Formats: sequence, C-alpha cells, structure tokens
Amino acid sequence: MDPLRQDEFDSQACGSMAPKAKPCPRPKPGEAAGGCSFDGAQITLLPIMDAAHLVHGPIACAGNSWESRGTLSSGPSLSQYGFATDLTDSDIIFGGEKKLKDSIDYIAGRFAPPAIFVYSTCVTALIGEDMDAVCKEAADRIGIPVIPVNSPGFVGSKNLGNRLAGDALLQYVIGTGEPEPETDLGVNLIGEYNIAGEMWDIEKLMNSAGIAVTSRITGDARYKEITWAHRARVNMVVCSRALLGLAREMESRYGIPYFEGSFYGAKETTYSLRQMAYLMNDREMERRVDRLTEREEARLSQELRPYRKLLRGKRAVLYTGGVKSWSVISALKELGVQVVGVGTNKSTEDDVRRIADRVGDDTEYIPEGGASRIIKTVRERKADIMIAGGRNMYVAMKEQIPFIDINQERHKAYAGYEGLLRLAKELTYSLANPIWKLAASPAPWDKEAPPYDR
Amino acid sequence: MTVNRRKKPASVNPMKIGQSLGAVLALQGCYRAMPLIHGSQGCSAFPKALLTRHFREPIAVQTSALQEMDVIFDANRNLEEALNLVLSKHRPDIIGIIGTELTDVAGVDYQNMLKTYKRERNMRGGLAFSVVLPDFRGSLESGFSSTVESMIDEMIQQVGHRGQRSMNTRQITLLPGSFLTPADVMELKEIISSFGFEVIALPDISTSLSGHLLTGFSPLTRGGVPLDSMLQSLQSGLTIAVGGSMERPARRLHNAIGTPYKVFEGAMGLKATDELLHFLHQISGEPVPLRYCWQRENLLDSMLDAHFQFAGMSVVAALEPDHLHSVSGWLEELGVEQKALITSFETPLIAGMEREVWVGDLDDAEVLGKGADLWISNSHGIAGAKRTGAAFMPAGFPVWNELGAYMSVSAGYRGAMEWSNKAGNLLMQREAGSRESSVRHR
Repeated sequence: MDPLRQDEFDSQACGSMAPKAKPCPRPKPGEAAGGCSFDGAQITLLPIMDAAHLVHGPIACAGNSWESRGTLSSGPSLSQYGFATDLTDSDIIFGGEKKLKDSIDYIAGRFAPPAIFVYSTCVTALIGEDMDAVCKEAADRIGIPVIPVNSPGFVGSKNLGNRLAGDALLQYVIGTGEPEPETDLGVNLIGEYNIAGEMWDIEKLMNSAGIAVTSRITGDARYKEITWAHRARVNMVVCSRALLGLAREMESRYGIPYFEGSFYGAKETTYSLRQMAYLMNDREMERRVDRLTEREEARLSQELRPYRKLLRGKRAVLYTGGVKSWSVISALKELGVQVVGVGTNKSTEDDVRRIADRVGDDTEYIPEGGASRIIKTVRERKADIMIAGGRNMYVAMKEQIPFIDINQERHKAYAGYEGLLRLAKELTYSLANPIWKLAASPAPWDKEAPPYDR
Repeated sequence: MTVNRRKKPASVNPMKIGQSLGAVLALQGCYRAMPLIHGSQGCSAFPKALLTRHFREPIAVQTSALQEMDVIFDANRNLEEALNLVLSKHRPDIIGIIGTELTDVAGVDYQNMLKTYKRERNMRGGLAFSVVLPDFRGSLESGFSSTVESMIDEMIQQVGHRGQRSMNTRQITLLPGSFLTPADVMELKEIISSFGFEVIALPDISTSLSGHLLTGFSPLTRGGVPLDSMLQSLQSGLTIAVGGSMERPARRLHNAIGTPYKVFEGAMGLKATDELLHFLHQISGEPVPLRYCWQRENLLDSMLDAHFQFAGMSVVAALEPDHLHSVSGWLEELGVEQKALITSFETPLIAGMEREVWVGDLDDAEVLGKGADLWISNSHGIAGAKRTGAAFMPAGFPVWNELGAYMSVSAGYRGAMEWSNKAGNLLMQREAGSRESSVRHR
C-alpha cells in the first residue's frame, strides 16, 4: 500500500506549483501526439456544467473541440454550448478586445450564467490581447465572475493546461463563496470529471458510507460549490497528476489535508474510502466505511466469479491517456488479467514506482511513441487485448486486436465496485466477440491463396 | 438572392470547422500521404480526434508542435525537424504542409523555407507542397478545395518540363467536393466509368476512408489515389468537378495544361443526376446503362410514395455551402418548405442562390428554424433539434451519433432515394411519437 501522504515534492511533475525550468518535456515535431494546453484547460473546466465557456480566438479552437468530451451532467447543460468570439482578419489586425467584451455581455444577458470562463488561444495570446483586464472590467460591470484562463495551446502539453486551469480556480474561484449553513462538509473530489457518469457511482458510495462531497472539481459541478471548496475537510486527488498542485496549494492556504487515490478496482476503492474517513478523523465514519467496503467487496467477488474464470491469465497492454496507469493495473490484477505492457508517457516518477509495485518483471514499459510502438508490444508480448484511449481505437481495429476504451471519450463507467464489474463484463464481451474469428478467416475462394497484404 | 447574418458578437454553437481540417481530409484521399500541420499541438490533435470520430478510421496527420518561443524566434526550425523525422522514418509519397492561423499571424514564411529545403535535399519523386489555411477565413470546404488546388499546382510544376502532353480522351479526372462521403465518391466513379471512361478521383477518399482490412500499421494514409495515378491524371481529356468549390482546382488544370472542365454544382436529387447522366451520355455516345434507368424509376416511385409524408412539412438545414446548395435542390424536389438555410461562410454559389441563406451557426438554426419539422445538420445539432422539437437528420461533418454515416450515399438516383426514405422515416417516427404522447396525456 502507498505511503499515506507524500511529503516530498516531485519537482519534475507538471503538477507542482513551482515547476523547475522545464516543467514538461517539449513535444517532438513530427512525432507529437496529444492535445495542447488549451485542450487541457478545457478538460478541467468544462465539467462545471452551469457556467458558460467562451473561447477567445478564431473559430477552429472552439469549432473543433466542443461536445467532444464524455462528461455528463445531471442538470444544467450550458457548458455543452460552444461559445467563441470567432475572430476574423480585421479583428486580428485591430484587436479583438471589443468583440470579447461584447461577447461576454451578450452571453451574460442571454443565458444568465453564474460565471463565464474565458479561454485564451494561441492567436489572442500572440497578438497580446489583455484578456485579464477585459475580464476584470466585465466582471465589475455585469456583476458575475468572469474568469480568464490563460492557457493558449502553444505554452505546452495538455497536462500543463490542466494545471493552468487549476491555477485559475485557485486564483479566481476557490474561497470566494461560503456554503449554506446546513451543508454537511466533507471531501473535495479533485480531477474527477464524471466521464460516462463515474462521478455518480463514486458519490453514491461515499454517501452510503456517510461521507459528504463538498465540491466536485469538476465532474458534474456547479460553479457555486467550487467557490466554497476551501471549507472541505479533505481533498482527494483522483488520478490526476496535473491537479496535485491545486491540492498542495489548498493545503498550505487552508490547511486541508490531501491524498492521491483512485476508484479503479475494489482494492483502490476501499483504500480511498478508508483514507477519506481517516483524514476526516472520525472513528464512527471509519467503522461505517469498514462495514460498507466489506459488504461491497464480498458481493462483488460473488458477482465477479464467472468473469474471473474467463479472464484469468489473459494478457493486456495498457496505454492510458489521462487516467493513471497504476490504478487501472490494480483493477485488472483483481480480475486476473496480466498487464504485459504499460504506457508511462504521462507518468511521474512516483507513478512509475507505483506501476512497478503492481506489475511483474517481464512487463514492458512504453515511454513514448504512439500507435506503432503499442502495436509492436501487443504483438511481441502476445497480448490478448489492448486497453487505451480513443485515439488508438481504430488502429487496434485495423489490426484486429480486441480493444477497450479507457479515456475521456468512453461511454462506460469503470469506477467503484460497480465499475469493476462493468469492466469485467466489457473485457469478456470484447474478447469473446465472434468478429475476431470471422475477420481472421479469408473468403472461401481465397482459402488456397494467401490473402493480400499480410 | 440574399445572404444574411444575424447580429450578435459571439458565435454560439459553431458549425464552422477550421480550414485545416479540410486539408487533412483531402490528404486522406491520397495514398501514402502525410498532412503536416504547422501550428501548435492542438491544431492537429483536434482535427485528428474529430476525423477519427466521424470516419471511425485511423487518421494520418502530424504537427510541427510549435511552442511559444518557437513562434517568436524560429518556427521553421520545428517544421524542418518535423520534415526530417517524417521523411526519414516513414518515407511518404506526398507531404502537405498546412499553415495555420498561428503561423499566419506570426508571419512565418514556410513556403520559401520549403523551397530551399527541397532544393538542398534534392528532393525528387515525391510531392511536397504547402498551403496557407488560417481558420479566420473560410471553413472545411475552402480548406479542402485550396489543398486540392495546391496539390494540382505542385503536380503541374513537377511534370511541366516534360514537354508535350498526350491526351487520353477516355480518361476523366474527377474532383469530388468535400461534402461527398466515401460512398458518394465511389458512386460517382461507378457512374462515370459505366459510360466507358477511366476515372481518376483526386482526392479519392472512397478507397481510404470507406473501411478496409489492410493490416500492418503505418502512420501514413493507407488508401486513396496513388501518386503515379495522380500524375497520370494530367493526361485526362476532361475534368469533372462536383461542388462549386471545386471549380477553382478544375480551372487551374484548364489554365495550365488546357484540360476542359465541367462543373456540377451538386449530384443530389433527380435533376442533378439527370444532368450528370445526360452529359456523360452526350460526351461518350454510350447509352445510359439500364441500371440507372431502373434507379431513376425507383427514385420517382419512392418519391411518389413519400410525398404524403412530406406534404406540409418544413425543414431547417445547416451545412457547408456546397452541401447546402445540393440539399436545398433536393428539398425543392420533395416539395417541403425550407424554413431556414444556414451555412458557415459565403461563397459565390451561395450568393447566387435563389433562396435566402444565412451565414451563421447552429444557434441561428435554432432561432430561425423554430417550428421546423426536420433538422438537417452535423451531430452538433442534436441538442438544438431536440430543443425545437424537430426530427434530427445527421448530415455533413462531423457525424458521430450514427454508425456507417460515412458510407451513406447521397449522390445519384440511389442517393436521392436513400435520403428521401431516411428523411421520410424520421418524420414518420416523429409523428408516431407525438401521437403516442397525446394518447398518454389524455
């Protein structure tokens, strides 16, 4: 089990508040994959469902990205609207600040959101738009928070964007509001974006153990609840390297203890719930958690039995995007699936250590290198299934490799005890599908001659 | 007749998609090609994700991964690095360097840099060209056609010095517009070749994005028109362009090497298909193949069957310019009311339309199309259609809420029939749904 708290700062991480000279490796031209910082900032903030998210720049940054996340809402849907200042040639020559101001006024007047997030893009950063000033002026004038998110694409990776979004929350949102007096204070969930509704499974579990969620940062969140995040008693950083800095800063500013945890796999789920109760310093709660986790684990192991039988000894290659590899490895291990290759491209040294704790010696680490490298590992290690992000899905399909989507575009929730059962089912369905046999066998008239291009 | 814009400062629920995505799409239709976007990482990651989601295929694209300091000091160093890597590692036949708003605003001169690069490395045999596509102008459609134009330019330059060109009158170059699906391009190729012509489609997404089972991973495109066929297309006796946006590349071919061309503004619906087949019949002297005569009757019969369904119905359509023009023509034949037509940017074709067209976004579709029975747009329109109570018909790009959207046909008689049936079915289901709920509320 991990140490309870991690005292030493991992200064190499994108997530640290005070990064060293080079916080993230420079993306390699011609071999780069993945999104930019603007993308990263959006991932973190878009799940604030009732806020308006306005992209200040030419159209494509918003036009190509809105509605691309699988983050779900239980109510308001304003964050699913795509807003853009849609700059034209002349805006770029004469400056887009006027248009930005008008856009903010227009959105405030027509949609009356509790807050407006304004994202800078490469072009507006390059021409030197003073977004902070426009936002501040607008906030004073219209009386709602207008929050500048200074994370243009060219400052770096997606991870850095997550961190910059976290900085914006710290600077402009957290600590600006107070909870209603009767609110039961508890845990902030940081870096959980309610992909495919995972947040709801987690919240249900926490509630049945009597643990309250104070603020969701940011899965299915409302703007208001984030303003009072500083009143929480514990911060849990869910599988997110980039938002560790946010948790650290909240610890030093408000004295809220934090821990890193995950909800993938029964063991990790139990650990996370226990950790919450422990840090809340509530004996009664700890006992409730023990009873709950015992009951849930027993029920789960009963229900998992048929799937475990089928999955035992199966080999998987894991290449996650945003989700931490080590937590998924735990989940797979519980199902009897052996991880024979694992991507470490987005992992910190701590993460790699955690991975090493969980896998065998013959597991191959894939530090970088995209699709071809993953496929190679699948072939060499004779893996049965590939677990990766949507970007690699159709590459796997072309190679006729069974595949499970683990990233933000997925439609299945894998968190918590229910999630592990769902993962077991998905793995089984995927491996047992008749398509693999059908696609591998040639047409009857081709049986004599070798098929093309093999 | 008139092109209007609603007055509002921000774009709300944009339908416009960056030009560079159109360029990436065009290059997917060339074999062993690599589109290289000169911009920051996101400039290629977003189009890649979006195209993957629409076509459900791996998409070849790379980036020069510009960062702040690169833009300020020397963005071309990144481009050179990217070119070196891509060339040495993957040996593509075709490289398209796509300039973005970022390089445009920063004033990066990569066109000259590419010239020098090619001269210094003595690059021969392949096709390397650049195209400037900032996204504060145009949209997917213009990005697509500009890329084809640049590609043609480069081809002409490469063979230009080889002297007299021998013309092959039985060969036709097809320039399919960006709104055509892989299945549409396939259909058009079949129609033209059924009159005895050889067809070279440029680009040809019908053989790259239609789903194939080639194994062996490559970061380059895995299908499309090969380079030698592309160069051979310069010998074609005729160019057929489909979509108003493809007229410029066709004209380029005409001006440089004298290939005559014919532009079909669309290929959807009875009249448009009649026009195409009649033209092919005239130039080939061949009779119209029996199967198309059958399909024509099938179409007319199904339109007769469906006209009860369409009577009194109204439609709002939000599509890229050429596509909108095409769809509007088809709607005309169905006899439905066209409540609102919205497009992403103004083109000569749109300006010349007899109907009122709005340049705008999906929010405008929601406001102007209020009360319409059917909503035709890309998948971003689902929410708007729901709010206005219209039946939603996905079309254009991107479509992610439907399997096989990229294989649906809209061209030819077959396409018109497929679309008419689909639209009719959607309206029928909507009617049944509302009847059900009225029973429940009684």
